[in-house]
Amino acid sequence: MTRMSAIDKYRTIFKECFQYDGDVDSLEYQSIEEWDSVAHMQLMTELEEEFKIELDIDDIIDFSSFKVGIEILRKYNVEVN
Amino acid sequence: MELDVTQILKIQENRHPILFIDKITSINPGDSAVAIKNYSYNEWFFPSHFEDDPNVPGFIQIESLVQTFIMTFLSIEGVQGNKTNFLKINNAVFKKKIVPGDVTTIYAHLESFKRGLAKGKAHSEVDGEMACSAEFLVSVPAILDKFKPK
Repeated sequence: MTRMSAIDKYRTIFKECFQYDGDVDSLEYQSIEEWDSVAHMQLMTELEEEFKIELDIDDIIDFSSFKVGIEILRKYNVEVN
Repeated sequence: MELDVTQILKIQENRHPILFIDKITSINPGDSAVAIKNYSYNEWFFPSHFEDDPNVPGFIQIESLVQTFIMTFLSIEGVQGNKTNFLKINNAVFKKKIVPGDVTTIYAHLESFKRGLAKGKAHSEVDGEMACSAEFLVSVPAILDKFKPK
């Protein structure tokens, strides 16, 4: 059995939250119909559960893209890249 | 703790003719609620659903479940009085026809409530027999909007 890398887990959470099969690395908030405000909160909850962190309100508001998210998670000592 | 209908009206926004809980017999804010709904033949929908076989429409059964469910988080201090939106209903099951004279007891459980998103489930019983059950995802837009990316 192979273990999933952190970046793969991160990508999988995006794909599952948005039910989206395309390339998630370039996604930004509302760049696809599926990433709306509700899906955003589900994404935040999934990331918190997966990486065992609690995101601050400011970071949830600033989490505007897949790439920005990687930088935000780094603040919580979560290296996904 | 029990809540009568006037107290229910202070906590949630549904009003006649679409309020489908009469009383909260037990509530634990942030966790669970138990409600009672009495179905008299005077209900507006019985004459049309159906004239020769009056029974409670499925959408009203679901609405009574979700109205009990929203009480689990709208009863939390600071959340009371907010409007809610249905986002998702999963695994809705109808097991029993509900007819005039029936009293349903509705049990709702909140699994999570975070940033304006509430997830949980509810089921109803008539005389201890399962009538209807479903899982819900409900939003509180006034709270959720505070967390949206700019």
